[in-house]
Amino acid sequence: MRRTILTLLAVLLVVVAAGGAGLASGRGGDSTVTRARLERSLPQVFANNYVRMTHLLGRHDVTPASLHAQAMCDKHGPDVADVGPGGDWTCLMSWTDPEVPMPPEGYGKFELNVHANDCYTAGGPSKLVGFLTITDQRGNDVDNPVFEFDGCFDPSSSNEATGVLFPSLLSVTSPSVAPDPRGRIGVQVTCGTGSDGCAGTVSASADGSSLGAQPFSMKEEAPDTIVFDRPLPAAATEVTLTFTATTGVGPPKPVTLPVS
Amino acid sequence: MIAAVRWELRKLRAQLRAKAVLLAALVGPVPIVLVIHGQSRPPKDSLFGRFATDNGFALSLLVLGFAAQWVLPLLTAIVAGDIFASEDQHGTWKTVLTRSTSRSRLFWAKVLVAAGFAVVTVAVLAAATVLASLVIVGRQPLVGLSGQTIDPSSALRLVAASWATTLPPVLGFTGLAVLLSVWSRNPAVGIAAPVVLGMVMQLVGALGGLDPARQGLLTTPFDAWHGLMTSPRFTGPLTQGLAVSAVWSVAALAAAYVLFRRRDITGG
Amino acid sequence: MKTGRPVLRAAPFIETSSGAAYGSGMPEPALAVDVEGVTKTYGHLTAVDDLSLRVGAGEVYGVLGPNGAGKTTLLRMLFGLIRPDSGTIRLFGRTWADDGVGVLDGVAGFIESPRFYPYLTGLQNLQGLALLDGDSPRGRVEEALDVVDLTDRARDKVGGYSYGMRQRLGVAASLIREPRLLVLDEPANGLDPAGIRDMRALVKRLADGGLTVLLSSHHMDEVEEICDNVTILSRGSVAFHGTIRDLRGLAPDPGYRLATTDDARAVSLARAGVEVRADPDGGLVVSGPRTAVSQYVAALVRADVELLEFVPTHTPLEALFFMLTGAEPEPAAVPPGVPAEVPAEVPS
Repeated sequence: MRRTILTLLAVLLVVVAAGGAGLASGRGGDSTVTRARLERSLPQVFANNYVRMTHLLGRHDVTPASLHAQAMCDKHGPDVADVGPGGDWTCLMSWTDPEVPMPPEGYGKFELNVHANDCYTAGGPSKLVGFLTITDQRGNDVDNPVFEFDGCFDPSSSNEATGVLFPSLLSVTSPSVAPDPRGRIGVQVTCGTGSDGCAGTVSASADGSSLGAQPFSMKEEAPDTIVFDRPLPAAATEVTLTFTATTGVGPPKPVTLPVS
Repeated sequence: MIAAVRWELRKLRAQLRAKAVLLAALVGPVPIVLVIHGQSRPPKDSLFGRFATDNGFALSLLVLGFAAQWVLPLLTAIVAGDIFASEDQHGTWKTVLTRSTSRSRLFWAKVLVAAGFAVVTVAVLAAATVLASLVIVGRQPLVGLSGQTIDPSSALRLVAASWATTLPPVLGFTGLAVLLSVWSRNPAVGIAAPVVLGMVMQLVGALGGLDPARQGLLTTPFDAWHGLMTSPRFTGPLTQGLAVSAVWSVAALAAAYVLFRRRDITGG
Repeated sequence: MKTGRPVLRAAPFIETSSGAAYGSGMPEPALAVDVEGVTKTYGHLTAVDDLSLRVGAGEVYGVLGPNGAGKTTLLRMLFGLIRPDSGTIRLFGRTWADDGVGVLDGVAGFIESPRFYPYLTGLQNLQGLALLDGDSPRGRVEEALDVVDLTDRARDKVGGYSYGMRQRLGVAASLIREPRLLVLDEPANGLDPAGIRDMRALVKRLADGGLTVLLSSHHMDEVEEICDNVTILSRGSVAFHGTIRDLRGLAPDPGYRLATTDDARAVSLARAGVEVRADPDGGLVVSGPRTAVSQYVAALVRADVELLEFVPTHTPLEALFFMLTGAEPEPAAVPPGVPAEVPAEVPS
């Protein structure tokens, strides 16, 4: 038994030495999974799957080239390096399909689970790519090729930045507002994945009277609570928020929240 | 050395284990294919799993991915991990080393037989899996790893090539099993340890922060076939995998050779 | 075993042995085995200590010693199973360093009990070994099986063989090599008396046919019966080198156990040169030089003391063996021909 343990330790040593050799070869301890490689791979794989989906629906007007798919990828927020496998990769992707316009922010948000072996599974927003199944021309329910798909990329493909950037999307997360003892309200917002975070001002009004305007400034994937100074009128039942974003994209139309 | 090879082959043929393994490789895929084909929910967490219930090519690649985890190392270790240690077990070193065949020739004859068995077994497993998949599930066009559609005849070529890319790392495990067999003099260790080491290596390879180590692991080449299923194809991992497998094989066999040549046979 | 049949081609060994290994012109070396200054240690344990040994062609040589004396280690080194730390080993003039496995040309034998593959038949085992010898298997294998009388069990798996059958298969495995030197490690070990008798008869016949035999044993009587020369090992060193006759010359006179009708009278008749004392288990023990003892016995008879029992307590050589290897730590080599100090009382 002692020999066995010694053997296994020796092989472990070899494995670690192999790691050291790999380090010395210049990779500098980084993974092959990088933002640039994902940004190059995902649009290609997505485009091929998307075209298959259109063929299933009987459309023949779209080709992978005509889609002009582009992606910006980020691993777990602004404070984590965009390198290495994980289930926390987010890619913002835009494409051109005459029948499926992009939302105001200009992209759909895809979640990727990337493995150390340079393969990943991607899933996208249902309002843009559809649901798990679609109905083909013959009326059968078939798997939707773009709802969730797998892809693998070449670990020695170019690691140069693609330069694709998308603005962060600011969204309101509070379903309602509740005044504090002094009558002031706070609204929870979150700034999504994107290139520069969210900044701008938001003005609130209720029952025709203004509650003032508050500035906001957040990093990507950060939540915040915006508190308005002026108290809410006693009889107000809903509040309307109007966002003006200087960085990032806010809700294009005023958002109305009930008062709870 | 031909005589020594013939002798090792005779011994192998007389043993139940070699025949059992070949039979398992030939027949085993059939129930596996049937079971997966009958699943209502396809195994989406493995590559090609989402298509495996409806696509014969995808199913054979799913089995390939699964086999690489422990089945392939085990298939070679069953013979390579035993072919030296069994002489210790039976006490026959003093019988065979006192004839007119040198230790060196006997060593290489055993290695050759172990390597040949590994190649044959992998080929049988691959052929049986592909055949069973295509017959039971069908020859539908395959969706590749870039989302592209691959026509059935190209798919067959690529699937066969993918199975073939497992040979270099399998032979790396052959060398490793020989080393463990010579070192431990225990057939159980020679057979089980390579499999366990393979699983440990896979675990290490899947971890995020250890990518330099991952490049040198013997299990990483088992994934190199992914590059054949993308569009455009990429072969970097294949050539790297070949080199890594070769280094493992050569190093393990060299160490085993030195150990074997210098050993004092004090027991049976 | 068939004791009446001639041994497998033993006779031609004498004719073909000269010049066979060396081609034209070079004479066959006179020494079958030439061991010089060989040492083997395992950590702090010295298995063999500066051992030298020479076996001439055609000799029957015994290596004797208790368990752990280094006999098996020595034989394993001859076969290349163990590498000596220092010293040289030559078999028919060839060394492992120069000739590799060619050293074993014409050499055969087995170490301890012979081992085979239990899942193969006796015939398959021998055919395989013949393959490793580079020969074509056919005729010789069946002949060898016939000589050791295993032909009817040859097609059974060795896993079902008895100890004695495996021993015989080991002899057959040696014979298929047509050896000029047969090295046997404790060949009679573990056999029943009939098997022991057959084994000794076979070895004797092979030796008579001109084969050089080197055998090891821890039974003195085995060695005494068939060996010309003997080396006695004790704890890895040589305790005695020489012929059997020299060994006998060194042996002390044996003690005798005596039972008489009148023990008291017997004791009183003891003369100078003969020591008679009562044995705690009953009876008397008599020791002394042979001539004195025979005179004493004659005196007993004349005095009408009847002898009921008169038996040696050990053979002389056994006694010497224990003395050389047993309780007291002995100084190393005893040069042949020089008698060692022999105590009057032989320790049992």
